[in-house]
Amino acid sequence: MNGHDPMKAQEAGLVARLLSYVFLLLASIALFISASGIATSRFEKLGAGAFPKIIFGAMAIVSAIAIIDALRQIPRHAYGDFAAQAVAWAKRCYLVFVCLGALTAYLLVIPVLGFSIASLIFLFVLQVILMPRTPKSIALAAVVAVVFSFGLNWLFAEVFTVFLPRGVL
Amino acid sequence: MTDFMTGAAQIFTLATLAYMLAGSVAGIVAAAIPGFTVTMAIVLTLPLTFTMEPLQGIAVMLSVYVGGYTGGLISAALLGIPGTPSSVATTFDAFPMARNGEPGRALSIGVWASFFGTVISTIVLIFAAPPLALFAVRLGPWEYFSLIVFALTIVASLVGTSAMRGILAGLIGLAISTVGTDPIMGRPRFDFGIEMLQAGLPFLVVLIGIFAISQLVSEVENADSVRSGNALVTGAIDFQTWTVMKEVLMRPVNLLRSSIVGVLIGALPGAGGSIANLVAYDQAKRGSKNSDKFGTGEPDGIVASEAGNSATAGGGLIPLIGLGIPGSAVDAILMASLMVHGVSVGPRLIMDHGDLVYGMFIAMVVASFMMLIVSICSMRMFLRVTEVPKWLIVPVVMTCCVVGTFALNNRVTDLYLLIFIGITGYTLRALGYALAPLVLGVILGPIAETNLRRALMTDEDPTLFFTRPISLIFLIAAFVSIVWAIRSHLKNRTSTERPSHAPTS
Repeated sequence: MNGHDPMKAQEAGLVARLLSYVFLLLASIALFISASGIATSRFEKLGAGAFPKIIFGAMAIVSAIAIIDALRQIPRHAYGDFAAQAVAWAKRCYLVFVCLGALTAYLLVIPVLGFSIASLIFLFVLQVILMPRTPKSIALAAVVAVVFSFGLNWLFAEVFTVFLPRGVL
Repeated sequence: MTDFMTGAAQIFTLATLAYMLAGSVAGIVAAAIPGFTVTMAIVLTLPLTFTMEPLQGIAVMLSVYVGGYTGGLISAALLGIPGTPSSVATTFDAFPMARNGEPGRALSIGVWASFFGTVISTIVLIFAAPPLALFAVRLGPWEYFSLIVFALTIVASLVGTSAMRGILAGLIGLAISTVGTDPIMGRPRFDFGIEMLQAGLPFLVVLIGIFAISQLVSEVENADSVRSGNALVTGAIDFQTWTVMKEVLMRPVNLLRSSIVGVLIGALPGAGGSIANLVAYDQAKRGSKNSDKFGTGEPDGIVASEAGNSATAGGGLIPLIGLGIPGSAVDAILMASLMVHGVSVGPRLIMDHGDLVYGMFIAMVVASFMMLIVSICSMRMFLRVTEVPKWLIVPVVMTCCVVGTFALNNRVTDLYLLIFIGITGYTLRALGYALAPLVLGVILGPIAETNLRRALMTDEDPTLFFTRPISLIFLIAAFVSIVWAIRSHLKNRTSTERPSHAPTS
């Protein structure tokens, strides 16, 4: 893409991974402490918290090793470039955010609008956003939206007797 | 012999064969939809078999079962999304092969491997059901825990480009499995007061979110490619039926080894196709001269995964027929279906209802032939999926994932979990974490914890893990597996430094 420097992007990737290791380390320590608070029955040698403690302990150790390894690999200037590179990546992959946003909105409105109407809107809108817009492709998107919303609902209700959410409207 | 002939006479009637054909088609179609498992397809079939004769009903359900294991291959190969948990390993090589312009060959290899896997497992089932069933039932919690430790070492060969992130992904999977009530005492853990977390994270929602949503979203990373109307997979729609059959048969060691792995894992109660395909893939990778090509479209990878998961169909019937213990959820439903018809399942099944047992063996073979015929006839239609542009297929498959997630428990809260797990899955994918170890961790976590705690509740002596012979064998195998993995990892590291393909980089 325009002005895309693969080397800088790779370094930003290393910083992003370092941040993920730090997050995992902090989370595993917190959850290890939380697991220590789970009561143990006197009938068992290992309580409900023992297995999670083994896992979170191992996760904390591996994350710490990964942090040390990452710190050795990342050049100093990479930290300064990280914010700019992250924004550039987000701009390049804006459709990812559009898709995830549309899916989130769709899942949140299903209980309100019901499966059929929510799916119809989701399918049609997302297809139109993603497609190269021509009258033919828009017509196709409309047909697909109807088939996979009302059609799927009918199939599940009539054939499988599985009733998808009907909504409150 | 009389029992065999009676069983055959019941199977080879026009009505039974027609029902089996319908079952085979239903199994393939259902399992091709992400989120729809073989188990769900069989549950939906069960009420339809109530009015049938016992053997006829079982034969139809076996057709759905065998067809379902093949159906999971379709979305695994063409969309990179495992249609069922049993086809996770199939995505590793079938999807790259389809992406490299050979979708027909990828599907064909999978179908033939599934067919041979089922046939081999049926042969083993016929000859080895009683002794294998006796072996499987002798395993205590010590042996099970050691077996899971061995299975966890498979993570080493699934780590992708970074061993560290692979191990972390496996640990995240194990951590996910600890959410909800604990499996022994039912004590609440890590639910943070959120009601939907109290029952734990449903495995299928995790699978759909981690694999399907993250895969679909990553398809739209390149806006130019989506807008130009590109299809998900491009290449020749050529099934190459007979050429590929020879290609699969030219790998007899892999085919046989993967099928045996599938039979053995299928015969263990609690394990099943979801573990067998990963173990078979791992064994094939370790045993191959081209292990570095695994993950890039290697035919051996597809053969191993598909033969492995299909062979569990026969393997799972071993403890069911020998001892009346179901090897998996599907076998439990088969058992329930027999009980509905008044047939008591247990060690006396083969003595009291010999015709039924032999009929089941024959039905397995007939079902695998039907699956083959249906697949060969319908694959051309399925391969049309490759011509569908990304802008259409991404929203449609997302909707199918939503339906699959909801239909699992009829719970709207599962949909909220789906989006959360989907975003987490995409973030991990973008950061270059391998997702297969995570799924393996989610599958194996509860089995490992249950057996570890059960073993220590039965006897507080931890040395029993090392002094019980079968447990010791599994632990030695796990140790050898780790040493082998470190050795080959170091070898690969010195010979070639492979660049990372993480999208952030």
